[in-house]
Amino acid sequence: MHPRTLAGGRSARIAGTAARWVLGKIGGGLFVLWAVATAIFFGIRMIPGDPAEAIMGGPGSQASAEALAQARADYGLDEPLYVQYFGQLWRLATGDLGTSYSLKLPVAEVLGELVPPTLVLAVLALAVAWALALVVAVLSTRSGRLGTALASGLEIVSAAVPHFWLASVLIMLFATALGWLPPVSTNSPAGLVLPVATLALPLAGFLGQVMRDTLDAAHRSPFALSARARGESETGVLLRHSLRHAALPGIALSGWAFGSLLSGAVVVESIFARPGLGRSLLSAVTARDIPMVTGVALLSAAAYVVIMAFSDLAERLADPRMGGS
Amino acid sequence: MRHVRPLATRLFPAAAALAAALVLAGCAPATTAPESGNDAGPPVAGGTLVYASGDAEPSCLDPHVGGNYPQALVASQYLETLYTKDAAGTLVPWLAEDSTVSADGLTRTVKIRPGITFTDGTPLDAEAVKANFEHLLDPATASSTGYLALGKIKSMKALDDATLELKLKTPDNALLESFAMPWVAIQSPLALKRSQAENCAAPVGTGPFKVASWKKQDAVNLVRNEDYVQPVATPGHEGAAYLDGITWRFIPEAATRYAALQAGEVHVIDNAQPDTIAAATKLQTIKHLDAPRPGASNRIELNSSKAPFNDAAVREAFIHAVNVNASVDSLFFGTAPRSYSPLSSAEPLAYSAESLFAYDPAKAGELLDAAGWSERDSEGYRTKDGERLSLTFPVSTSQSIPAEQSLFEQMQATAKESGFEIKINLLDLSSWYGELFTNDYNLVSAPYTKVGPSVLAVLFHSDSTIPAPSGYFANLSQVKDPKLDELLDSAGSTQDEAERKELYAQAQKLVLEGHYLLPLYNQQNHFLYAGKLQNVGATTAVATPTFFDAWLAK
Repeated sequence: MHPRTLAGGRSARIAGTAARWVLGKIGGGLFVLWAVATAIFFGIRMIPGDPAEAIMGGPGSQASAEALAQARADYGLDEPLYVQYFGQLWRLATGDLGTSYSLKLPVAEVLGELVPPTLVLAVLALAVAWALALVVAVLSTRSGRLGTALASGLEIVSAAVPHFWLASVLIMLFATALGWLPPVSTNSPAGLVLPVATLALPLAGFLGQVMRDTLDAAHRSPFALSARARGESETGVLLRHSLRHAALPGIALSGWAFGSLLSGAVVVESIFARPGLGRSLLSAVTARDIPMVTGVALLSAAAYVVIMAFSDLAERLADPRMGGS
Repeated sequence: MRHVRPLATRLFPAAAALAAALVLAGCAPATTAPESGNDAGPPVAGGTLVYASGDAEPSCLDPHVGGNYPQALVASQYLETLYTKDAAGTLVPWLAEDSTVSADGLTRTVKIRPGITFTDGTPLDAEAVKANFEHLLDPATASSTGYLALGKIKSMKALDDATLELKLKTPDNALLESFAMPWVAIQSPLALKRSQAENCAAPVGTGPFKVASWKKQDAVNLVRNEDYVQPVATPGHEGAAYLDGITWRFIPEAATRYAALQAGEVHVIDNAQPDTIAAATKLQTIKHLDAPRPGASNRIELNSSKAPFNDAAVREAFIHAVNVNASVDSLFFGTAPRSYSPLSSAEPLAYSAESLFAYDPAKAGELLDAAGWSERDSEGYRTKDGERLSLTFPVSTSQSIPAEQSLFEQMQATAKESGFEIKINLLDLSSWYGELFTNDYNLVSAPYTKVGPSVLAVLFHSDSTIPAPSGYFANLSQVKDPKLDELLDSAGSTQDEAERKELYAQAQKLVLEGHYLLPLYNQQNHFLYAGKLQNVGATTAVATPTFFDAWLAK
């Protein structure tokens, strides 16, 4: 057989596998979004309280019966539940997230303004956490038992620290006592330091713990030994072999980490008075603003699905044992 | 107006406590430039004040819509009212010039002050005020507080540019007090014609500042109204405000808010907590404004509609069984003087009865024994016919600050000694209302802000036990007493000021002596501000600060 056809068949097979993979991811993602939308639609109706009341100013509003009826009609709350449900699914499918009860603005517009600041926060925190985790993992594996024990202890402590506690301590220390950084976060670089640190430190502890274990194992493994035997320097072994191994669980965890950053953002954005998705989710839940809660939840779910797909892809690229190559 | 406490400390009380502990432990910064208020020199214009609110960000900057305290705080900078209270607490005309009422009390004529213009150029006249009242009474506006305040208006007519005539369903001597509330503030009729979303984003008034922009979750930016003329000259200055503008920020977390004040990032913070006030007053750089809200005092209502509080003796026993004073002193660091009145001390007609509220466990025991609660169960609680003397106390974490929640816990401990079991349920606002609507409470604490003693009718008239369509009702002690109703009706409609005072005093005496409530303290409203900010202290009739006279020292 001609080598060309062989290669062609092979790449077609790879393309087929990739297409299946992509379709599978999209299908799975859509299923997740549908499940989230459905869970929220029915879940939020189990909470006591009339949505019309939320529209008219929250629980205990003294809105008149006419005003409540008007609100119900305006927002389609007087229709049978199944009509509301399928109507909601149809609107979501066509990209219409509805109008916020409390802000009286299109949810998509509100989210559009809030996504960038949260994204900046989450991406920076993830990057810093990765960098910290790697540095500590590498340094500790090269500094013997004591270093390892010390790093491990640090990681466990920082992984266990709750965000609100860490944020308060950082504010007390760096804003109040030392006056180096502002306690309130804006998008200025200085204002980002404390919130990013609050999110990154616990995550770094978690990632570091996992990475260092793998790094240790990789360092002691036969392939590292043979690399050393080939005359590679310790740094060479680390960069070319061990780190790649250590990165795998880190990449796999990054999808999860991103999710945890979003939930951390609820706390951090509130403490540092930073505009963003997390803070708006909190106020939307408090105000029983169903469209906003739905919008934020769907957006988070969509982000999670995409990130998981990318981390899956990154894992396949970093690990030749997986995937179609 | 029912107050909803900010996200503030309810989010992370532990963090707040830690932060406070660190401050108290001496982690506070060294004080920077020495400041003192009195030798700051003559006022200088310029600079932007940064205000940090702990309240949830309003969804609408027009206080006609809904109508809560956070809206009143910010709107007091750009909207003005027909009436207001002067520094001595007397009700005085503001945008109105004068008002008269017919002998039968059913026709009120309001004279509008001439020569006043909204910041969009529209003149203030009787038609403008009428348009505002119509806006408030229109169900589409979804006004709650303002709507209730104007509830007795039947019809209105502008007789000429300066005269508005109101026909009332029944006489209402609280109408002028209602006119002093920011929820009934007067806006440009032209601006009110815009869509609700537009008007919510930038209401147009006559105040010393105007709304320039609003970036949600970030800040409301107010700029000076250069053409401002005070309707009535006050002891301060004339002309436009000193400040170039105000940046109105929202910082939900109490510890962050205080840290921002200390760092000089903000100049004024609201919702200051007792421990923070205690720490701040030790610093030379920070000053304190205590502005108790008008209307009702903060109090615990005893639900008289069901056992065991349908027995007046058990209510009386409960009041003697709890040691409030010792706890208030220690938990509020002296920032909240004890109240013995259903009304705020900001109300001139408040009637106090301290002698009714002594901590006297012996008397509580006698009363309970006589009422048949003489047995004790294995846990030490009193019983009657095998039923434990148990009280359900739903507490809204958004309305009761941490210090107040601690107070309730300490009351729980002292009441146990007398054999009362108090079950405190910490709840979010919706669930808390749920418990009230299903009558699932024996004790409850719910703040209520209003100008004037007519709040007594809201809280204690039997009509207020009838729920609104939403389920809400304000008479939480559920007192239904024809004699009290009659007192409140007469007090609300009399044209005679002395008689009004006497009738409201009798009504207060009746609810206090009936042991329907346990007054705690004024509705707390504390502000901390930077020492370089001068001339702070002026407030509206609902105790929201105004910054017309304020200026920033260099």
